[in-house]
Amino acid sequence: MAQHPRLTAFAIMATLVAAGTLLNLHIQHLRESEAYYRWFLAAAVQARMDGQVRENDPDGDLFRESVVALESAGFFDDFLVEYRQDPTEGVLPDPEEQAEEDYRTHRRIWDFARSRHAASQRETFLDLARQQQLRFARDIQYAEAQAGGVNIFNLFFGFRKVAANLLWIEVDRYWHQGNMYRMITLMRTCVALDPEFIEAYLIGAWHLAYNATARMPDTPWPQREWHDGYEACLGEKERFYYYAIDFLKDGIRRNPRNYRLYFELGFAIYKEKLEDYPNAVRYLSEAIRVPHDRWVPRQLFLSYELNGQFEEALAGWQDYIIRFPGSMTAVEVAPRFIMRNQGHIYEQRSHELRKQSYETDDPQQRETLQEQSTAYWERARETWRNLNDPYGEGRLMLMEGLDMRLDGRYLESIALLDKARWETAALWEELSDLIIETKQEAGIPLSVSEKKAVLRESEVGICPGMPPEEQERRLRAIEEIEARF
Amino acid sequence: MNALTNYFRGPFYIALYTYREGMRRKLLIGFLVLSLLVIFGSSFIATFLDPSAETDIDLKLIKDICVSAIAIFGVLIAVYISASVVPNEVENKVIYTVLSKPVGRMQYLLGKFMGAQFIIMVNLAIMGGLFFMALYMREGVMPTLLLWSILLTYFEFLIVSSFTFAVSCAATTSLVPILGGLFIYITGNLTEYLKDVEHRAGQTGEWFDAMIGHIATGLHAVLPNLQNFSLKMQIVTGQPNDPPADVLIPNLLLYGFLYGLAGFLCAYIIFWRKEV
Amino acid sequence: MRGQDVHALKDLNIEIHEGEIFGYLGPNGSGKTTTIKMLLGLIFPTNGIIEILGNRSISSAAVKKDIGYLPEGAYYPDFLRGEEILSYYGKLYGLRGADLKRRINETLEMVGMQHARRRLLRGYSKGMRQRIGLAQALISDPRILILDEPTTGLDPIARKEIRDILLRLRAQGKTLFISSHELLEVEMMSDRVGILFNGVLQTIGSMEELLIKREMTVDVDGLTDEVATSLTERGVSIEDRTGARAQLRVGGSLSIFDVIELCKEKALQIHSVTPRRETLEELFVRVVGAAEAARS
Repeated sequence: MAQHPRLTAFAIMATLVAAGTLLNLHIQHLRESEAYYRWFLAAAVQARMDGQVRENDPDGDLFRESVVALESAGFFDDFLVEYRQDPTEGVLPDPEEQAEEDYRTHRRIWDFARSRHAASQRETFLDLARQQQLRFARDIQYAEAQAGGVNIFNLFFGFRKVAANLLWIEVDRYWHQGNMYRMITLMRTCVALDPEFIEAYLIGAWHLAYNATARMPDTPWPQREWHDGYEACLGEKERFYYYAIDFLKDGIRRNPRNYRLYFELGFAIYKEKLEDYPNAVRYLSEAIRVPHDRWVPRQLFLSYELNGQFEEALAGWQDYIIRFPGSMTAVEVAPRFIMRNQGHIYEQRSHELRKQSYETDDPQQRETLQEQSTAYWERARETWRNLNDPYGEGRLMLMEGLDMRLDGRYLESIALLDKARWETAALWEELSDLIIETKQEAGIPLSVSEKKAVLRESEVGICPGMPPEEQERRLRAIEEIEARF
Repeated sequence: MNALTNYFRGPFYIALYTYREGMRRKLLIGFLVLSLLVIFGSSFIATFLDPSAETDIDLKLIKDICVSAIAIFGVLIAVYISASVVPNEVENKVIYTVLSKPVGRMQYLLGKFMGAQFIIMVNLAIMGGLFFMALYMREGVMPTLLLWSILLTYFEFLIVSSFTFAVSCAATTSLVPILGGLFIYITGNLTEYLKDVEHRAGQTGEWFDAMIGHIATGLHAVLPNLQNFSLKMQIVTGQPNDPPADVLIPNLLLYGFLYGLAGFLCAYIIFWRKEV
Repeated sequence: MRGQDVHALKDLNIEIHEGEIFGYLGPNGSGKTTTIKMLLGLIFPTNGIIEILGNRSISSAAVKKDIGYLPEGAYYPDFLRGEEILSYYGKLYGLRGADLKRRINETLEMVGMQHARRRLLRGYSKGMRQRIGLAQALISDPRILILDEPTTGLDPIARKEIRDILLRLRAQGKTLFISSHELLEVEMMSDRVGILFNGVLQTIGSMEELLIKREMTVDVDGLTDEVATSLTERGVSIEDRTGARAQLRVGGSLSIFDVIELCKEKALQIHSVTPRRETLEELFVRVVGAAEAARS
């Protein structure tokens, strides 16, 4: 051996290169598995949020197949159930425990993704990705390279992130110049270069939904255009709202485990901008399924409340106190909101019972129901009194107004409700609606602005490009409303 | 055991000497200073951005720019040092005084290689350390993923530097191996293209086309693929506790080590009977 | 066109005795450095055997321990101190601790560099650098010293000092192999010389063997052209004539007495009568000239 150092070195080197080659192949396998794993997560989140897996869709088909393989290999008993576990059931998760649990779950999925059990699904995935047929894999870096077309990014030698950053500075410049449309194009390039550019999604969506639309006038209905995908008539503003939503949804597809994207979509866009509370709840509850910051659940509870899910909101706030005792929110904020939701629940129950009492034929039962209803009404009133803040006072006045309306003192009721809505801004819309309702009940004609408000609030606009059925439906709705005026 | 320590004593002193000498290179200091400037300067680039957007975008910018700066300047340093340690000694004839001592060629190369690695590591540590401090001051939490990122960067450099070193053993001046090293780095990053070639070839059904496909497959398997190390960029800004990263990192470290060793042996094969 | 193998050295056969100074001569490009590199295992002969101290595996550590080498024009790092360089090379020889310290002291003493041991090499003169180079070759107390152009580029005083050191080393029983084209130096020190030209050893032997021809020269004054002609006719060769002064070389059938008689006869003043050995330079020019003629 010592006589032939060169030969020995050659032999060792050949062995090393052989080992390196094997490792190379193994790493290639791991990276393919990684792409598959990331696609799988994105598809799983989509399945979780849709509540179902779409039919006749390459992603859906492959996802279903993968879940079957995953379960039959014993990694999960029932993946969709286990993965869907709602962290708000019971006490809010401890952040650390949640992170650990989250890691364990994903570790299991990853173990599956790189195991031989997933071999055929992986193969299908890579084939489909190469053909650019998967919605969720389109932007995953490795799949991209596999597909060949966008391989040009590799010319950045792995510095595409820097390229994305520099481009972002340019985006920022366009923003200052007010060049919105150019900005959108560049923003898309940015996230194509760096699909994990979370801040780009967040700031981009914020620009689109807020800053871009701030000075835009409302587009008159006849000038709007119907959009099949969103099923809405889009004016200039609305188009930007949906750009923002799409942009964030893109981000979610590429980074399904980042809570900030869900949060931004749920809170900033759906809750604050569009006041679409069901969707806000949907995305915010997704945000707290992944490891998140402490302030995320609060917005979820607020959205619950706004969405009329008082029970959930109440349970949430109570959880919060148990999970983070002594925190500022738990001491100062949560108790107030607990009372608020309690009050709402009492009010709601009282309304329900009263409604039931009107429906029943049995006079004795009616009496019992009305008594119960009154009891809840009183409890609500007491809760609001205890709450002792503008909101509580507003609620008290609202209840008072309702009582008056019930007694037929319509004008007094309207006057009180009107006073209340000027005092409690948070209840403005609810009180305005009540005033309109009361007026209609009393046969008092609505003011012009009130009529306008009614029409604006209801989705009755007609715009070009609408499908005939939709147009028909809306026309009928308009007729109904006008009949009521 | 004693024989082993005796064997490695020579290389150790050579490495130490190489390190002391190498750290004085003006070009290297220039690269280092430039990279430190970029790392410092990255904090200012964020000021170009709209301050009304209250996000961590400046942090992300700093992270990406710093990791890239470390990668670029680091690879320049790595290539420059590993390309010049041996040719430099040949040029100024120090190699004669060293090789005429009871030092085998393997020991000599080992010493030189280790010395070059010391230099690369120290430079990486300086750059990474500064970056680490900057992040720590800004965020207040230990950016542990950054350490992994820097480690990955080093192992990527190990592959580049060992093959550059092999080229330098065949050369008489350091210019050619420096160019060679950059070439290795660039092609190493383009290995992924071969996969593309593999998919595109074979479409005509002719034997030549098919053969090109097979060659591409073979090369793709054998050649080190530096794009594998792009994970180093991902984990710095990415989510913590990412299961694939946990599995990929040890594999990549082993990968770097294997190819690094292969490159070194390549250097030995070239240098074994080289007439100096 | 087909390339031909170029052999830097052909049929080289040299034997060097223990304890001698061997002067290895040859014009630039003749293959001296190649020979030395082969001895040190830096390059490899296509054919043949090199044996050092009875050992044929010349790249083994055991052999290398006994060899000290001073390369021509080597660079020593500027940023180190004299003693640091010696310490580095000493460590490569496996010296450590007190042993190393003692050797550093001894060699510095020997090359006369004790005063500059703590100075950075940046401040060294050329002679000092050469001496530190010599010290690094001596650090392991080797039995054999191979020196490539040890005095080239030095001023006369530095040369003298180096020469003295080398002679002292011989006195200590070391074997010295000195490659040079400084003929005078070699002549002053060497016991034996070999002359290499064009990769072929032209001649080898001790000074006495090689410079055998002994002649006498007579320095005279008062020479006229007429006298010169008559002297030449008588078979006396005249050299170095400057005006009336000249050197007469005794050769051919004439003895020294005949020449002196002749001088008396022609009334020339005799300044000196010197016995003259052929210089190494003359030998060198003769040998190399002959080789060159043979080649063409």
